[in-house]
Amino acid sequence: MSDVKEISSNKLLAFGIIGGLLGIYLTYILPALGTQIGGQAESFLTVISPTFGALGAMCSVVWGAEAVRRVSKYGLGTGVPSIGQIAMGMGIVAAMFGLAIVKTMLIAGPIVALVTASVIGLIIGWFAQNVIKMKIPVMIRCMTEIAAAGALVIIGFSASVAGNFDFLGSIIPLVFDNGVMLAVFWVGAVALLHPFNACLGPDEKQKRLLYLAVSTGAITMVIMGIAALVTLGASGAITLVLGIILWVISYKKFWDEVYKDSSAVVGTGLIPKTEA
Amino acid sequence: MVLDLTMSMAILALLGALATIAGCLEDLESDVGSQSNPNSQVQLAPQMNFLHRIYNKAISGEPISNGLSAVTGGVITSVLLSANFYPLTAIVIGAFIAAVIYGIYATTAYAGRVASQTRFKQPLYMDIMRYTTPSIIGHNFIVNFCLVAIAYIQYVILGYPFTIPFLALIWGISVGAIGSSVGDVHYGGEREFQNREFGCGLNTALSGRIVRRAESGLRNSIDNVWFCAKFGGPATGIGLGLTVFFSSWPTTIWGYTWTAIIVGFVIVAVMMILNRLVEIQVKNAYGPYKEEKTEKGVEA
Amino acid sequence: MVAIDPTLLNVLLIAISGTLICAAVHFIPVGGAPAAMAQATGIGTGTVELAAGSGLVGLITASYMYANEPTAPVYLVMAAGAMGSMVMLASTMLAGGLIYAYGVAVPFASAQVKKDPITGQRQDNFISKGTQGQGIPTICFVSGIIGAALGGIGGALIYYVLVGIYSPLITTSAAAVAGVFTMGVFYVNAVIPSYGVGGTIEGFHDPKFRRVIGKDVLTSFVVSLICGVVAVMIAGGMVA
Repeated sequence: MSDVKEISSNKLLAFGIIGGLLGIYLTYILPALGTQIGGQAESFLTVISPTFGALGAMCSVVWGAEAVRRVSKYGLGTGVPSIGQIAMGMGIVAAMFGLAIVKTMLIAGPIVALVTASVIGLIIGWFAQNVIKMKIPVMIRCMTEIAAAGALVIIGFSASVAGNFDFLGSIIPLVFDNGVMLAVFWVGAVALLHPFNACLGPDEKQKRLLYLAVSTGAITMVIMGIAALVTLGASGAITLVLGIILWVISYKKFWDEVYKDSSAVVGTGLIPKTEA
Repeated sequence: MVLDLTMSMAILALLGALATIAGCLEDLESDVGSQSNPNSQVQLAPQMNFLHRIYNKAISGEPISNGLSAVTGGVITSVLLSANFYPLTAIVIGAFIAAVIYGIYATTAYAGRVASQTRFKQPLYMDIMRYTTPSIIGHNFIVNFCLVAIAYIQYVILGYPFTIPFLALIWGISVGAIGSSVGDVHYGGEREFQNREFGCGLNTALSGRIVRRAESGLRNSIDNVWFCAKFGGPATGIGLGLTVFFSSWPTTIWGYTWTAIIVGFVIVAVMMILNRLVEIQVKNAYGPYKEEKTEKGVEA
Repeated sequence: MVAIDPTLLNVLLIAISGTLICAAVHFIPVGGAPAAMAQATGIGTGTVELAAGSGLVGLITASYMYANEPTAPVYLVMAAGAMGSMVMLASTMLAGGLIYAYGVAVPFASAQVKKDPITGQRQDNFISKGTQGQGIPTICFVSGIIGAALGGIGGALIYYVLVGIYSPLITTSAAAVAGVFTMGVFYVNAVIPSYGVGGTIEGFHDPKFRRVIGKDVLTSFVVSLICGVVAVMIAGGMVA
């Protein structure tokens, strides 16, 4: 449909899953590695590890935004926002389940959450396609992908605020009790659905959408960084600063694409004459 | 904290006032940025060769976007409160940062939407971007301030079980839903098509033909919000104010008993009767559309 | 009465609440983008957000009631949820009606029925040319109130059950965790019927209502059942 080659959906799926899981697990592995090494390195690793959770979540945001784009191009009928909402609804149910149920084997939490989210997404997608008869070819696959992306986004950003993904020990006191989980849920949902909704139109380009997805993910990271200033201290500052830097870069690149794609970007002007 | 009746009523009145202001400003903010349902007409206009200078902001519907800025304000306020800031300062700073973030989303929406309408030759006007975005940020700041203040009062003083971000989020969603249902009709049904006949719904054949050349110059969103501030905004404020006030008033006076619930149901019944009275009055005052009876518009 | 295993009862209650939320969406009169331009009957917003908004206001009132009166019977909590939700939707519809009546100056008329079932007034000669009705006639108002009540009851019930399950395990945080889970279930169950309804519905008098409510409710019941099982298993993971 465009002369620029688009990044394939499978590549973005791999990016989202691998990037997301890598970031989430680093929040757990790096401090553990630190205790092994001990000394100066330990405190350093403990301070920088939560930021990787946010970075992993940003990879999932990009993946999710692409999946939203694919399913929404068919015209959902009720609008793009509802799919972001259902994704996060499924994501939060699956994330809480996956992280809570693995009491003894903490490390399996994110994988269980990812699988649960995919299963719930598959079931809802199947019902939407066959019972409610929505007749969208990619519905089942995209619903699965969006639910999985939602779960990873939630776990990643929660880990960046709580330090790791231990449900009872860190996430409940540090993310649920102060209400930050709502920000993860909502700002994460907007990060998934804003890119396509903001670029809606016949000349929508994937490159511009992906830059916008990175930008919305970076804004979410900034908010998580501010929240983490209270729960974690210095890690919050690192997440905040890195978020701002990533935002500046991706926002500038987004605007470059806008200048390239628009028919005209003018300082001011009258309405151009058309054949109306 | 346990409060006597006078204090409870005073706080409830304050909550009602804050909610009314929040509702009014939310609707005006969605008019100065052309959001949600009427924006579908603004989006459609270039396709029908009606290029315009309206700020096409599409942050996915008002409940979601107001929930976004409210929850951001709530989180930042909570962070500042736990750093022992004075509550009023914390709420102001939280609301401000949330409004700025909201303004960023607004600019990406306008730029993104116009950049995706290349084939219709719709230009991206940077002066519209430059002077409308601060207006959006300003309106949103007041909305955030009121909603986070309501959440703060409910959490800290009244002892609600949900924390400030959660309460702010729910009120943000509600104000968005109410603004989208009430005030947007004034913008979409009236101002956007002001050069059409008054007193009828929008004919489907007129879709996309929004007003672009106005009373003296080209129409932009600041003109639209000037108009809607006369009716749409205050009506939305009434909607949210009634909601916040009447959802807590019965339990404040009658305690947590069945009597309070029955009073709540009676309030709803009164509103139903009021709606019926308005319906009767309007039908009698305007009369039927005699000359275009029956055929059109009844096919489902 | 047969003694049901409490865990199974909790799962069933969560499934039923989710289904109530789904059913509520069908009752609330939503006209979507056309209604905002006075082109269709109903409230001019999206199905998901209005149902979710009113249900969440119901959640606030229900949770406040429950927090202040821990011994309250479940019916009182459900009624409190219904009350909050109904007040919000009634205020919204009343204020919206004022705009339709005096701002846009259109009489209220439904496009789906010839005569309003409650007031008996003729509708079709009050529909303006080229539209599918406008405003919020009495039948839509009543339908909306019923929908709001169902949504408020559903949300309050899930919250009540979850706080009951989680309080013994994580006393202080139970409200927060239960609230977040309720919100998640709310949104899943509000989006499913919006797919089935296709964005606009006038209420229970709309012929579309009978067509779509069956399959939407079925989908919602299955999904809420899964959510109920998940919720109970999360409790199992909270025993430290």
